[in-house]
Amino acid sequence: MTFDSNAFLIIFTGSLIAISCGFLGVFMMLRKMSMTGDAISHAVLPGIVIGFFVSGSQRSLEVIIGAGLLGILATLMIDWLRKKARVQLDASIGITFTLLFAIGIILINLLAYKVDLDQECVLYGEIAYLPIDSWITKNGMNLGPRITWLAGLNFLFVVGFIYLLFKELVLTSFDENFSSVMGIPAKGINLALMSIVSYTTVSSFESVGAILVVALLVVPPATAFLWTKSLMPLLKLTAVMGVLIALFGYYLAYLIDSSIAGMMVLVAGVFFGISALIHSKKPSWMGRTSSTSQPFGV
Amino acid sequence: MITQVENPILEIHDLTVSYDQNPVLWNVDLSLPAGNLVGILGPNGAGKSTLIKAIMGLITPTSGYVKVFDKPMNDVRARISYVPQRESVDWNFPASVLDVVMMGTYGKLGLFRRPGKKEKDLAIKCLEQVGMSGFVGRQISELSGGQQQRVFIARALAQEADLYLMDEPFAGVDMATETAIFQLLQEMTAAGKTVIVVHHDIHSAMNFFDWLIMLNLHLVASGPKEIVMNEEMLRKTYGGKLNLLTRVTDLIRQKDFNPLKG
Repeated sequence: MTFDSNAFLIIFTGSLIAISCGFLGVFMMLRKMSMTGDAISHAVLPGIVIGFFVSGSQRSLEVIIGAGLLGILATLMIDWLRKKARVQLDASIGITFTLLFAIGIILINLLAYKVDLDQECVLYGEIAYLPIDSWITKNGMNLGPRITWLAGLNFLFVVGFIYLLFKELVLTSFDENFSSVMGIPAKGINLALMSIVSYTTVSSFESVGAILVVALLVVPPATAFLWTKSLMPLLKLTAVMGVLIALFGYYLAYLIDSSIAGMMVLVAGVFFGISALIHSKKPSWMGRTSSTSQPFGV
Repeated sequence: MITQVENPILEIHDLTVSYDQNPVLWNVDLSLPAGNLVGILGPNGAGKSTLIKAIMGLITPTSGYVKVFDKPMNDVRARISYVPQRESVDWNFPASVLDVVMMGTYGKLGLFRRPGKKEKDLAIKCLEQVGMSGFVGRQISELSGGQQQRVFIARALAQEADLYLMDEPFAGVDMATETAIFQLLQEMTAAGKTVIVVHHDIHSAMNFFDWLIMLNLHLVASGPKEIVMNEEMLRKTYGGKLNLLTRVTDLIRQKDFNPLKG
C-alpha cells in the first residue's frame, strides 16, 4: 500500500466528485427524483455528441452546453409525459432516458468519422488515467490533471448553488404548491437543479462514467438518510461518506488491481448495506424521542 | 342564493375549471367581503379544493378570472397565505418544526436572503399561538396528525398575510383542537383578516363561520350564514343524501338553531 501524489490526486478528485454528486443527490432524494438523476446522466449523451461534433473537441464549452440542454430537455420530457400524457413517473423516466440515450448511440455511430467518442469511457469512465492527462497551457506550463480542475470547478458550482438557493431548494422540495403560492418559482428552481445535475454528470462522466455517477447521486444520500432525520447532518454525513468511498475505493481497487470507479460504488453499496442492516435491527427506543404533548392554547 | 358584495376582498368571475375536458367546477361567480370567516361546504368531489387551488393560480381555469384585493393574484401574492392538505407533503422530510414554520417567512425575504433572528422570533411566536411552543426543535416526522396540522397553520400565520386559504385544516384533528383553532381563526378575522376554510362538518360550520359557500360542481349558495344555512340549500348541495339531511335538520331543531343568538 502506497501513498504517492498520484494516489492523492485520484482520491482527492474522487472525493470532490462524490461530494458534488452527493449534495445534489440529497435534494434529488428529497424531491423523490433520484431516478431522474439516472435519466439525466444517460440523456445527456446526444448533447455531448452534438457538442463534440460542433466544436470538434471533447473538452469544449459546447459539449457542456449541449449536455446541459439535453438534461433540461429530459426533465421537461419526463414532466410532460407524467402531467400531460398521464404516464406514470417510473414509466416516463424509462421512456425518456432510453430514447435519448439510443439517439446518442446512433449519433456516435453516424458521426463516427468525426466524433472520436468511446462509448465504454462514457459509460464506465476511468479515473486511474487522471494523473497522465494534464492541463498544459499554451506556453507549456503544466497545471496538473485536467479532470481534477474540472471536478474542483464543479464542486465550487454545486456548493455555491446550494448555498445561494438553500432555502428555496428546501422549500420547493418539501412543499411545491406552497412555494408557488408565495411566488417562489418552483419550476425555475427545479430546472436550475436539473441543469446543475446535468453539468455535474458531464464533468464527472470522463472519470467515473455515466452509470457510476448515478450510484454517487443515489447511494450516499440514501445511506445518510438512514442515520439522520435532519438536513444539515444529512449533508455532512453525505460528504463524509463521499470521502470515505473515494479513499476505500481507491485502495481496494489498488489491492486487487481493478476499476477504481467500480470499487468506489461497491464500497458505497457495502456502506449502505451495513447501515440498512444496523438500522433494521435498531431497537425502537433508539429511533424516536418522546415527550408529552402539551395542551392547546397556552 | 348568491349574495354579491361591494368592494370585495375576493372576486371570482364565471370560473370554470376542467380536468381532461371534464369540467369539475361550473360557472362559479361570487364575491366575498373582508374580515369574515368563510366556510366552503360541499360533498366529496364537489370541487372544494379545486376552487381554492384555482383562486391561488395552482390550477389554470378553463374560463373566468379571479381578483384578490381588486388585483390579479400574481400582484398580491405576499398578502395571501395557504394551508394545503396535510397529506400533500411527505412528513418524513428532514426538517424541524421551526424550519417548517420559518418557511412562511421566505416569501417576504425574497431570493438569496437567509432568515435571521427576526424571522425566527416570528416563527416562535406563531408556534405559541397554535400551542406548539414545546415542539420547536422536534423533527416533523415525529408529530401526530393534529400536531402536523397546527404546524401548517403556524406556518401560514408566519406569512402575516391578509387573506388565508385553508384546505381541510380540521381533517384528523380532535374536537378540542378544532375548537381552539376556530377560536384562533375568529381572533384573526376580528383583526380584519379574511379566512377561507374548506370544511366538511356541517355542524361545526353552523357554529363558527360567518359566511358560507356551498358547492356541488356549481355554486349553490354564497352568503352570510343566517341567510344560506337552510334545508333547501343543504338539499341542493348534498343532493339526495336524505339520511344525512334529516340528521342535520334534527340537529337544527334540537338546538333551536338561531344564528342571530349565537
